[in-house]
Amino acid sequence: MLKIFSTPADPSAAVLDALGRIGGADEALHATEVRHGTTVGTNAMLEGKTARVAFITTAGFEDTIAIGRQTRSRLYDWFEPASRCLVPRELRFGVPERVSAEGAIQRSPTDKELEILVEKVRASGAEAAAISLLFSFANPATEKRVEAALQRLGVPVSTSHRILPEFREYERASTTVVNAALSPLMQRYLLDLEENVAQRHRGRVQVMQSSGGIIPARIAAQQPVRTILSGPAGGAIGAWQMARWASLDKIIGIDMGGTSTDVFLADAATGGPQHTRESAVAGVPISVPMLDIHTAGAGGGSIARFDAGGMLRVGPESAGAEPGPICFGRGTRPTVTDANLLLGRLDEASFLGGGVHLDRRRTEGILNEQKGSLRTAKDFAAGILRVIDTEMEKAIRVISVERGHDPREFTLVAFGGGGPLHACSLARSLRISRVLVPAMPGALSAVGILFADTARDFSRTVMLPGDAVKSCDEIFVELERSATGELAEEGVEGVVHRSMDVRYRGQGYELNVSYDTHSPTRGLEAFHRVHQQRYGFCDEERPVEIVNIRLRMISAGERSMPALRTPVAGDGRAACYAERDAFFDGDFVLSRFYRRDGLVPGDVVPGPAMITEYTSATALPPRCRAELDGLGNLVIDVAEERA
Amino acid sequence: MSAAVDAVELAVFQSRVHSIAEEMGAALRRTAVSPNIKERRDYSCAVFDGRGRVIAMGDHMPVHLGSMPMSVQAAIDAIAFEPGDIAVLNDPYAGGTHLPDITMVLPVFGDERGAPAFYVANRAHHADVGGAFAGSMGPAREIFQEGIRIPPVLIVRRGEVCREVLGLILLNVRTPNERRGDLEAQIGSCRVGEMRVRQLVDKYRAGKLQVLIEELLDYSERLVRSELRGMPGGMFRAEDWLDNDGVTDAACRIAVEIRINPPASSMDIDFTGSCAQVAGSVNAVRAITVSACFYMLRCLLAEGAPATAGILRPLTVTTVAGSIVDARSPAPVAGGNVETSQRIVDVLLRALSQAVPSRVPAASAGTMSNLTIGGVNPRSNEPFTYYETTAGGMGARPTLDGISGVQTHMTNSLNTPVEALEYAYPFRVRRYGYREGSGGVGRYRGGDGLVREIELLAEAQVTLLADRRRFRPYGLHGGSEGAAGRAAVIDAGSDGEVELPGKCSRRAAAGSVLRIETPGGGGWGKA
Repeated sequence: MLKIFSTPADPSAAVLDALGRIGGADEALHATEVRHGTTVGTNAMLEGKTARVAFITTAGFEDTIAIGRQTRSRLYDWFEPASRCLVPRELRFGVPERVSAEGAIQRSPTDKELEILVEKVRASGAEAAAISLLFSFANPATEKRVEAALQRLGVPVSTSHRILPEFREYERASTTVVNAALSPLMQRYLLDLEENVAQRHRGRVQVMQSSGGIIPARIAAQQPVRTILSGPAGGAIGAWQMARWASLDKIIGIDMGGTSTDVFLADAATGGPQHTRESAVAGVPISVPMLDIHTAGAGGGSIARFDAGGMLRVGPESAGAEPGPICFGRGTRPTVTDANLLLGRLDEASFLGGGVHLDRRRTEGILNEQKGSLRTAKDFAAGILRVIDTEMEKAIRVISVERGHDPREFTLVAFGGGGPLHACSLARSLRISRVLVPAMPGALSAVGILFADTARDFSRTVMLPGDAVKSCDEIFVELERSATGELAEEGVEGVVHRSMDVRYRGQGYELNVSYDTHSPTRGLEAFHRVHQQRYGFCDEERPVEIVNIRLRMISAGERSMPALRTPVAGDGRAACYAERDAFFDGDFVLSRFYRRDGLVPGDVVPGPAMITEYTSATALPPRCRAELDGLGNLVIDVAEERA
Repeated sequence: MSAAVDAVELAVFQSRVHSIAEEMGAALRRTAVSPNIKERRDYSCAVFDGRGRVIAMGDHMPVHLGSMPMSVQAAIDAIAFEPGDIAVLNDPYAGGTHLPDITMVLPVFGDERGAPAFYVANRAHHADVGGAFAGSMGPAREIFQEGIRIPPVLIVRRGEVCREVLGLILLNVRTPNERRGDLEAQIGSCRVGEMRVRQLVDKYRAGKLQVLIEELLDYSERLVRSELRGMPGGMFRAEDWLDNDGVTDAACRIAVEIRINPPASSMDIDFTGSCAQVAGSVNAVRAITVSACFYMLRCLLAEGAPATAGILRPLTVTTVAGSIVDARSPAPVAGGNVETSQRIVDVLLRALSQAVPSRVPAASAGTMSNLTIGGVNPRSNEPFTYYETTAGGMGARPTLDGISGVQTHMTNSLNTPVEALEYAYPFRVRRYGYREGSGGVGRYRGGDGLVREIELLAEAQVTLLADRRRFRPYGLHGGSEGAAGRAAVIDAGSDGEVELPGKCSRRAAAGSVLRIETPGGGGWGKA
């Protein structure tokens, strides 16, 4: 494993540097495939450094990209700032055209009108164009004409029927605009990278998508919106891969970092990590399929304070890297990390390899001053942990309970700097009986990207009554033809997964169920079942509607498993380097401290204990036990807290 | 903070109980059938203790804030609940607000013998509940013309849906299939709430929950009192007007006196100067008036403060029975919830701005511009009813322009996507955009309103319920008023447009085009 610093001015420099180092001086060592996860797109969105995008839509609807859903995001705040629209007024253009809900063209732009449009867009100085006409998914003919006309401008053009051929104009347009806004940057970046890799290493570049599947850099450059959460997707897929090797088939993942915690759920019975089409990045809706990763404003740097009513609140405000927690020496407001330190759950010597001095006395002093109505600094610290655990519990409920899953059936997979510290107490409050702290926690994202499947998603809104389910066949065949063609160009053969989004007629949200060509009605039966599971009722008499059909072409990734070491029963004593007090279940108890890299497969460690490593530490409460499995994962049996 | 509960336990409990209300909302949204509920999220969910006091409310619709507790109280008063029961009601004179808002209440029993330990409730706006006008929001003169009135009755008895009650409701509405789907979704959402409350009860030992509930309510009260202690004392008066009541031309006065008493950390709000209840439908029941006061107080608190019954403790609200802010049967009330509620907020803010000028925005659009359309869909030959509100401009804030085309104050419902709307109804949307220049000028500008044009593809009954035509959204501290609202119809085959009054109901032929222009927000400060 090699980790190097990023080079924000030219992100590809770091990638090429790393490749060079892996290959060493030996230029003859050629990679055949480079797999890449990137946050270039996310950062551009978060920092507002996106391209000037012209938005082209049906005349009369130019402002819809700014109006959005006409709601405010904070219900009780008279001073909420206006949300930023990626397309300012002078860059919104209308085309005189209309397609009906049935896909009939009612008004077509003349060539002259298109010419005028092209000139206006040219004059606007736009660096990219996004076209999203009403009902373009039902009939893309006009959108294609507008696209062809705008190609003349020589700027990247994104069209909604290619990016997201699904109904709901605002979300489709927003997704298309994000794609356009990232296009110049991402095209430059990915195509340069690909060229360099081809020249220097005779390899090709593949990119991780937010959906957890891999696509070639060339496609990613055309559809950068699909890679916007490339990094977190890698982590989720990596955690899932480690869990699969450990023979787990239902996991809830929790990745706790400095400012926030990402949670996700994966169930082998429903195809692994769950997907969503209702995401937003920097407040902008994005509806292409992404892994359903829910983020809570709860991290190691989350700040604790008492509000005007005397309630303890923790986060979402974070001390960040500057000034950082109190214990790092500059911060003055208590954070989750400070609480962990005071409660003996951080090992100063091993924290980040011992490179950071943790000032315990300063931390205790400030917590004492700010403890409010609580008795001691220790009570304050314990309170901070309980509140932050509750925030994370809430996030897990959103991706499990709200989606119809019972967390008790899952294993909690904890990673990131803070995940393993909080995993057992979280598991207890959710009544989860097993926790897995994967091996290589610092490289999970890379593991995920390395072992991810090559996957391409295709979809189309069909809006068919349930009894017409058989006619989906025809549309699948058509979708498949173009999909297979695209993949063949890349020399990839894929396995086809067909599914459909189904709802009761009139509902506004769909459930995704598999489509079986031999027995199409089976999918509808599954729909009633899933509806019952998720929402507590179903009605087989009620008419259903097929909204979208989806095709996923998957070419399985490499499946080689890391070397398994045979576990030999042991007690891990050799890895134990200290015995001191750590706070568990309401009090300090004498706990053993173990170095994780000193444990060998088969070692079983009883709580209370702390198992420390370079990037993290696992807190093992009394009566829980952790075992190192043959892959190097810590597998923890979580005992309930003694009443 | 009481000795028995610390700041930590309280935070944990508050977070848990709040997530119950949010989960009920998620279940309702995802299973409802009508665009108004599933796309526009015109609903609210809340959790109550055994005494009917609200302890958690999802971040849904502010107009339901103060009124949901009255529904629960009315259900408790009327029904001897047993486990597995769910009550339904919509009567504004027995716990409701206006007839389209149907509320369900489910008691959660601690054990089989005792009284309910908790209640969960949800309320959703149904696109039609019968009556003289499709969409049930027309210019009525009596509540009997506004739709079916449901006193608190059981719709689910010991776990079984009461077919007779459901049948009675469905027989009285124009779109029974859609109503059935939405009512089933409400039942499902209540059950999700019940299951989650049970899980919450399991987490705490007996007796502890009661202590936590009391502490949570005390906590909300403390938040409000600490805010009131820091405000300037005194009496602040304001008035504003509704254009008319929809059936007569007389303007309707809403007047308020807010007395802030910082040493006692209390606030008295007196609506005595408001006009008597009126002939048309803009009468508000007291629940709505209390909701508006609740909303104002909640906005003065920091983000994240829970909306519980404790917020209202430092407050007294005085209304005169039989007035426009405390209507009595059989006054029609459809517009009270959507129009008068906004005007009450406008008046409250106008008074409050005298006390704390730097914290209060100028008037926002002040009308929900409610449009209801009903008829028969030629594609399916089935009846349809459509309901939607269109946002306007937000009033300018001290230090910030108002936001354009956004829902303000008592509502936050989403728009129906044009593509969802054209799938569901025989309409074609022709235009949806900002109404340029409609925001009031000032040092900070009011937000612009919106323009929306809908072409009818089938003959239909069109009902408009809007305001702010004569009395425009006020500016503050020298800022100008926002532009007045407008509506017009261009009849099929004619070029000329006919201006529509703010409140009206008329037949429109296939091919007619309706245009709604919503008011802009007022400006703040001299330009």
